[in-house]
Amino acid sequence: MSKTLIIVCCVLLSCLGAIAQAKFTISGTIRSRKTGETIIGATVHVAGQSIGTVSNEYGFYSLTLPSGTYVIEFSTVGLQPVQEEIVLTQHTTRNIALEDASRSLKSVTITAAGKQRNLNTPQMGMEQLTTKEMKNIPVLLGEKDVLKTIQLLPGIKSAGDGNSGFYVRGGAADQNLILLDEAPVYNASHLFGFFSTFNSDAIKDVTVYKGGMPAQYGGRLSSVLDIKMNDGNNQDYNVSGGIGLISSKVNIEGPLQKDKSSFLVSGRRTYVDLFLRLSNDSSIRNNSLYFYDLNAKLNYQLGKRDRLFASGYFGADNLVVGNNFGLKWGNGTGTLRWNHIYSSKMFSNTSLIFSNYNYKINVKSGANDVNIFSQIRDWNLKEELQYYISQRHNLRIGFNTIYHTMRPGEITSSQLSNFNSSRLQQRYSWENAVYISDVWKATDKLDLLYGARLTAFSILGEGDFFNIDKDGQILDTLHYKSGEFVKTYVNLEPRLAISYQLTDISSVKASYARNVQNLHLISNSTSSSPTDRWVASTNIIKPEISDQVSLGYYKNLYGSKYELTVETYYKTMLHQIDYRDGADVLNNDAIETQLLFGKGRAYGIEWLIKKKTGRVTGWVSYTLSKTQRKIDGINNGNWYNARQDRTHDVAVVGMYQLNEKWSLSASWVYYTGDAVTFPSGKYLINNVVYYYYTERNGYRMPAYHRLDLGATKQLRKHGRYSSELAFSLYNAYGRENAYTITFRQSKEDPNKTEAVRTSLFRFVPSISYNFKF
Amino acid sequence: MKQLLYIAIVLIGLSACQKVIDINLNNAAKKYVIEGGVTDQINGIGVRISQTMDFSEDNTFEGVSGATVIITSDNATEYVLQETASPGVYATTGFKGRIGQTYSMYVQIGADTFRAVSTMPNEVYFDSLGLENRVVFGETRRVPTVYYSDPQGKGNAYHFVEWHNGVQERTIFVRNDENTDGRSLSIQLVSFSSDSDNDEKKIKTGDTITIEMQCIDQTVYKYWYSLDAGATGEGQSATPANPVTNITGGALGYFSAHSVQRRTIIAD
Repeated sequence: MSKTLIIVCCVLLSCLGAIAQAKFTISGTIRSRKTGETIIGATVHVAGQSIGTVSNEYGFYSLTLPSGTYVIEFSTVGLQPVQEEIVLTQHTTRNIALEDASRSLKSVTITAAGKQRNLNTPQMGMEQLTTKEMKNIPVLLGEKDVLKTIQLLPGIKSAGDGNSGFYVRGGAADQNLILLDEAPVYNASHLFGFFSTFNSDAIKDVTVYKGGMPAQYGGRLSSVLDIKMNDGNNQDYNVSGGIGLISSKVNIEGPLQKDKSSFLVSGRRTYVDLFLRLSNDSSIRNNSLYFYDLNAKLNYQLGKRDRLFASGYFGADNLVVGNNFGLKWGNGTGTLRWNHIYSSKMFSNTSLIFSNYNYKINVKSGANDVNIFSQIRDWNLKEELQYYISQRHNLRIGFNTIYHTMRPGEITSSQLSNFNSSRLQQRYSWENAVYISDVWKATDKLDLLYGARLTAFSILGEGDFFNIDKDGQILDTLHYKSGEFVKTYVNLEPRLAISYQLTDISSVKASYARNVQNLHLISNSTSSSPTDRWVASTNIIKPEISDQVSLGYYKNLYGSKYELTVETYYKTMLHQIDYRDGADVLNNDAIETQLLFGKGRAYGIEWLIKKKTGRVTGWVSYTLSKTQRKIDGINNGNWYNARQDRTHDVAVVGMYQLNEKWSLSASWVYYTGDAVTFPSGKYLINNVVYYYYTERNGYRMPAYHRLDLGATKQLRKHGRYSSELAFSLYNAYGRENAYTITFRQSKEDPNKTEAVRTSLFRFVPSISYNFKF
Repeated sequence: MKQLLYIAIVLIGLSACQKVIDINLNNAAKKYVIEGGVTDQINGIGVRISQTMDFSEDNTFEGVSGATVIITSDNATEYVLQETASPGVYATTGFKGRIGQTYSMYVQIGADTFRAVSTMPNEVYFDSLGLENRVVFGETRRVPTVYYSDPQGKGNAYHFVEWHNGVQERTIFVRNDENTDGRSLSIQLVSFSSDSDNDEKKIKTGDTITIEMQCIDQTVYKYWYSLDAGATGEGQSATPANPVTNITGGALGYFSAHSVQRRTIIAD
């Protein structure tokens, strides 16, 4: 008690002292010395005091202090911290370069990591991963994968084998905002979901927000997955790559002008199709399946205050089945950014962002030659000012304007084919948002992050919109001219997060966030499909709205060797979408006639114990949760379990540095099966058995569990050339997890009915060779 | 889409495995199942009434006897159907339906009454039946192909039933003209039912293929479409559901007034 009193007095005294003194700002950019990459979220800390800040997403930091002499420590995980003595008698710019932590300096690494966790930042429900952390976790076919790795964290659940979709705190797979260098990615999966579109070689940082999203993010209900690409090494040329069983990749980066500008190009391609061509069997030879990714980035430092970035991603999948069927799909994104430092306290970023997703289906049979094309395209302008007002306040103000064009489906066909050329109506919408937020260090122990986002979503003509009755019948059609406003939805999204540091090693946090979503993915299939259809809000489809409160407790244990996180949340969701029985969602202009609307709720508690240092690292996470929906027209309007409702979800991840050469890893997951609809009876129609359903999602899939193993061997270095062999075994004990359970008349005795379980992957081994020079 | 996923799995060298498992399903209260039809063929008016069964029961048709079944055409002709020698099968002899007529079905079983209405649409001529080659399940197969010309104006719908050497194919073949209005069509009837990969389902030289083409109305199209999408047990849909029926009163099944044309071909 008396200790607390003394601290409070000291704080008050220092406050009083601060008022009397002149204040100056130290600012600059924190980078890695080796690569010149800016460092996101590096800690800037005044030695001996509880004053500090963190670098922003461009490595910029700004700290205002009373004039005086300080020792300031700059640190981040995996790099050696730097201490600088600074005599602050005027506004000072100090750019910092951090050295790689070499293996012999383990103790240093430990100190840095120990300080890594900020118990007093109000942000909660957030997880950050660097590619280094992802590197050793075993994955399917050895493809390091951001989306698969985050699914091992509490509250983030895998959508199942062969599906890169994920569910955050009871939200659906389309309620995650996935950003790559600020550009939304509408379909983040390759090969129907085996792999994600993110080539881990090109990625610098991955941050996922499960709750309490800062006001600069908006547009989806459940989470934000913010992925930032590397800028490219501005010190030296680097080539790295990997040769795997199903794909190979290469990453080239280097300076254009040392210290000033750099480039990065990263590519990946699968090559199963090349083997297929070798087959003697024409029915195999004529099939093809591949995907590729290309990431590129340029950045240029214009003087001391300005920096320009151009980054782009392009990826596509191509599936050809015989001479009959072709399906191509892919994303393209482009981001142009301009950082400008107005003053040591004012940082600005302007972004112009382009984002595109499209698919094209080609069907040939007999005289038929039909193409179906669908596209969603965004133009997006963002401006954000970060104003580091004082040691206690850090303000962000910004706006965002996006123009969406959706082309849900266009059929073009040959003269002799079955199909008429036709198209579903194009949809146009304009999404605007302004936001403000402030990080306020109210006292040494109490921190607040509060703000609000005001969004206006306007649906624009030209197009026909519908009024429908409760049975989904069209009552009348309203025609709007080009550019005419059909409807504007305005929503205010307050965001609040508070943290209170209980002791040096523990804190509690609470947050509230409202999120609004105006783009909805309509899918009626069990697996994610490239042809799932995005629709914007209409006069009938209302914006989805969620309100989430969460509460968390954080403690560092055993001298910060372990981190304990416990978070609990309660979330309500409005205007959730489900399908009418027998809905046809693909081929329908008035898609509203196929949908039902209702509400949802989700609650749960998440535990995470993480060990970040030592030879053994890893974590154990456990989530206990419930997710339900209530929709008129489904289950008599009663609450029912959402498909993604999973009572228990466990992940255990362990990594072990055996010696200089070998590192081993293992991960084990267990979760309750999805809530699914199974029949409760059967009947005959036209002499064929069909199934009788009494309840939506009234049954459960069997529980899912799986162990994956990985091992990496460092090979001998030859000068600059280093390489490693990575082995992995997916589903090491061969659990036959149910991908689907289907029902059919028995093949042996058609008089009997049987249930059939399909499982996808058992014992999938892989080996890959990675190199760097 | 599930088919495509399996193709993808095979193409990247992995394999999916299928196993028959025991599963514990609830037993639900019985529901009546009514299949009512009026066709333009002689003796084409009939209704079959059965009930839902528990999952473990045999797949045999257990008719419901003692129902009152009346079909009325819109010119007020009333047909009272009599139960035949097969329990649950109700029919009338010597009559057939007429194109353009609207028919109403009335079924009373104990205290429960069920009603439905269906209009027999204009007949679209079934030009011919052929066999075309197509890659199915990774091999080239002969696939029955129907040829006909859809008339101008949307609203036509078709249901096809296939018999291969007299054995009825389980796949539901149902089409509308939403994207094919006014075209001359060649439609491959590719089987994707759970037993379609059996060798005996392949069409070989000398096999007899018969296709029945039914021109159906929109509510019946919706029935077959939603039965196929949601109730075949094959798990394509995330939300399996009972089909959208045109019968009111809480029965499963449908009532369809449709014309019938059959074509038969012997594979050469």
